[in-house]
Amino acid sequence: MGAFNTISFLPEHCDGCNACMTACATAKTGAPDVINSRIQIVADGGSFELAMCRQCGDPKCVANCPAAALAKNDADGVIDWDGTKCVNCLLCTVGCAYGGIVHNVAAGHVVKCDTCGGDPICVKACDRGALKYLTTANIYNEVGDLEDLFVPGLAGCQGCNTELIMRHTMRRIGPDTVLATPPGCIPGMGSVGYNGLTGTKVPVFHPLLTNTASMLTGVKRHYKRQGREVNAVALAGDGGASDVGFQSLSGAAERGEQILFICVDNEGYMNTGMQRSSCTPFGAWTSTTPVGERGTGKTQDAKNMPLLMVMHNCEYVATASTAFMEDLYDKLDKAIAASKRGFAYLHIYSPCTTGWRFPSQENIEVARKAVEANFVMLWESNPRDGLQLTRGVEQPLSIAEYLKALGKYRHLSEEQVGHIQATVEKNVSFIKGLAEGRHPSMAQVMAGQA
Amino acid sequence: MSAVLKPKSKAIVCDGNEAAAWAVTLARVDMVAVYPITPQSSLVEYLAKFVADGKLNAEIIDVEGEHSVLSVLHGGTLAGARTYTGTCGPGLAFMFEPYLRTPGLRMPMVMSIVTRDTLTPQSVWGGHQDAMSVREVGWIQMYCETVQEVLDTTIMGYKVAEHRDVMLPVNVCHDGNYLSYGATRVELPSQEEVDAFLPPPATNWHAALDPDRPMAVDPLTGGAGGPGPSMFVRYRKGQCSGMQHALAAIEAAHEDWARIVGRRHAPLVESYRMEDAETALVTLGSMTGAGKDAVDEARDRGERVGLVKMKTYRPFPVQAIAKALSGVKAVGVVDRSVSFGWNCGPLYQDVIGALQFATKRPAAMSFIGGLAGADITTDHFGRVIERTQALAKDGQVGETVWLNEKD
Repeated sequence: MGAFNTISFLPEHCDGCNACMTACATAKTGAPDVINSRIQIVADGGSFELAMCRQCGDPKCVANCPAAALAKNDADGVIDWDGTKCVNCLLCTVGCAYGGIVHNVAAGHVVKCDTCGGDPICVKACDRGALKYLTTANIYNEVGDLEDLFVPGLAGCQGCNTELIMRHTMRRIGPDTVLATPPGCIPGMGSVGYNGLTGTKVPVFHPLLTNTASMLTGVKRHYKRQGREVNAVALAGDGGASDVGFQSLSGAAERGEQILFICVDNEGYMNTGMQRSSCTPFGAWTSTTPVGERGTGKTQDAKNMPLLMVMHNCEYVATASTAFMEDLYDKLDKAIAASKRGFAYLHIYSPCTTGWRFPSQENIEVARKAVEANFVMLWESNPRDGLQLTRGVEQPLSIAEYLKALGKYRHLSEEQVGHIQATVEKNVSFIKGLAEGRHPSMAQVMAGQA
Repeated sequence: MSAVLKPKSKAIVCDGNEAAAWAVTLARVDMVAVYPITPQSSLVEYLAKFVADGKLNAEIIDVEGEHSVLSVLHGGTLAGARTYTGTCGPGLAFMFEPYLRTPGLRMPMVMSIVTRDTLTPQSVWGGHQDAMSVREVGWIQMYCETVQEVLDTTIMGYKVAEHRDVMLPVNVCHDGNYLSYGATRVELPSQEEVDAFLPPPATNWHAALDPDRPMAVDPLTGGAGGPGPSMFVRYRKGQCSGMQHALAAIEAAHEDWARIVGRRHAPLVESYRMEDAETALVTLGSMTGAGKDAVDEARDRGERVGLVKMKTYRPFPVQAIAKALSGVKAVGVVDRSVSFGWNCGPLYQDVIGALQFATKRPAAMSFIGGLAGADITTDHFGRVIERTQALAKDGQVGETVWLNEKD
């Protein structure tokens, strides 16, 4: 059995407006009486709780039904109720812990959510962002059976986002791959291995920190010459991509080598003790931009690596985040396809629980906040269509909300926060301008016409 | 594979850079990566032209610097390609990081060093300082005397590098200016002859990147405890032993070349008029021609002078040089580079080290000439002979002599 899409409730965004219930009741009964809604938002002190069918994987309502009137639908995961079989015993309502199936007086029998056939009207009615229809189940269904190409037990830090990126990306890219992991967290956690033991199931090697894209060039060119289809893939840190590895990366991109280069950006040299890289943002504490009587963290803004790669006229460039996995997988698929025609560059942000100083269980939330505050923007670019935002940048979370989640910004002055705010706004305006074609000369450069 | 060369050996006129490009073509190299640098530039131009003209059927990759040149070839070699490049001077210095790694990964490639003096003073002219600066990195180094030897040695280099007991990279060194640009008559062997000499490369399964046979190349090795330290020692020892096996492989390759192509070069050291010699010169590279002329002049005067040319410098043929010089009274070693730490030439250091193993140990002196394109003439060699003859009489080893100091 695969995974299924689901309605998700975020109580912190709910203000009890009842729009969802009104919409549901109207859709199901023709009248807006919220008592007939299949979704019930219940006030509980100062907050709200959800009473609705979870479409459980191991549904107690189904188990309790003596008449086989309830069944889990294998196609969409919805628990279907069959009125022709129901004997109105209400045993199902006893089994459900969520108040998801209840007796409805007007109908004269039990009612429950049927997700409106995969297009739930309650979610559409909610303009507070408290209800979401999560379709990420597709990812599990599509890649869940693909082999994880790393062994269990890589020695990453607890809650490591980079390990997540490695496992997801390689699972999708597949075994016909030669993988380069330049020095950093990725081989540091044992992907290439130690003393003859390896953590990777595809051919993998340590390039130098400086020459990842060049070594992959040689591998790819020789296999092409032999007529063999082999993916040449890099999983590199931001240091190996943006600093000392930049020359070879730039050269390979300019030559249009058929390589997929994934930069896993944790904003510094996190493996070797959290030193600054040119991708470290302004104000951040690192072990080489320490905070002290005179030190205030990094005093320069981060280099915009993905945009620099766009200017190389790559076949595909995109930014991605593990908080937005559908977007990430969509871009990964495009990047894999593009790397069969030319150079593809994927820049994936990877919050580092150890180096950025936040609790490991908050990793995905930190990643999400970075995007929601526009600190990280999600976009993609190719020479034909130019740059496109893949997620809106309107109504961002306040930058302070993001910064305060991270220990590495704990020392920031108001002035520094102001600088970061201004930089984010400038970036948003610039990238948005590219997306909207407001920089025609840039657009020409990106289209390779300059 | 298109047959691009005529079946029979033919005579052409070319310089050392073009000769190297012909060798690459005849050796059926799969991949070349190039970046120009004086005095190597025309070599990579020839390669590009040979590819453009359909003579050389290889992937040619124009990269953004020497660091990437060698890095691309690392990738190609690990995927099973026969690879080639050439560089010198500052380019070799920039390449140093991957260069350092090449022998440890046991990559059987061939790279020309079109020798050039190193910075600084700023210089673009010939000298051995670049190649000498990397003599202890683990590459095999062979130095050529003539353009013909450049061509023949570059092809032989693959046979040595790919030998199963060797599996190490080879530098074929040819002197910037003198050999890179000096055009002479050269016998170009036929493709059939070279094919008979050099089989196609076999995949090197101890270090390869192939999805059909997954392998982790170069995991971290070492550290205290566990299997690491002894594993590291075994890698290092194996590398040294590959280097020692190269001595026999070089001799065998030269023998095969003589048998198939009909041209014989001395594989390790060449003894020139050394029979009954009391005084010997030791030379390296293109200076040898002038050295031989000076020896001839001295012999014409009835002086018992000979010359030993070093062909193979790494691995250092200790026994061969000790044998060649055993019995002479004095040796004058002429270097085209400097050992800064010892105020003499590096070849001189190696020679006096090897003379420990000579049955009769002669005195030896260091001469340095030919830096930054300076000429070492027969007159200079005349002075070397004179000074070495004095050494043979009194046994008094003097200070290093800088030949071009007062030119």
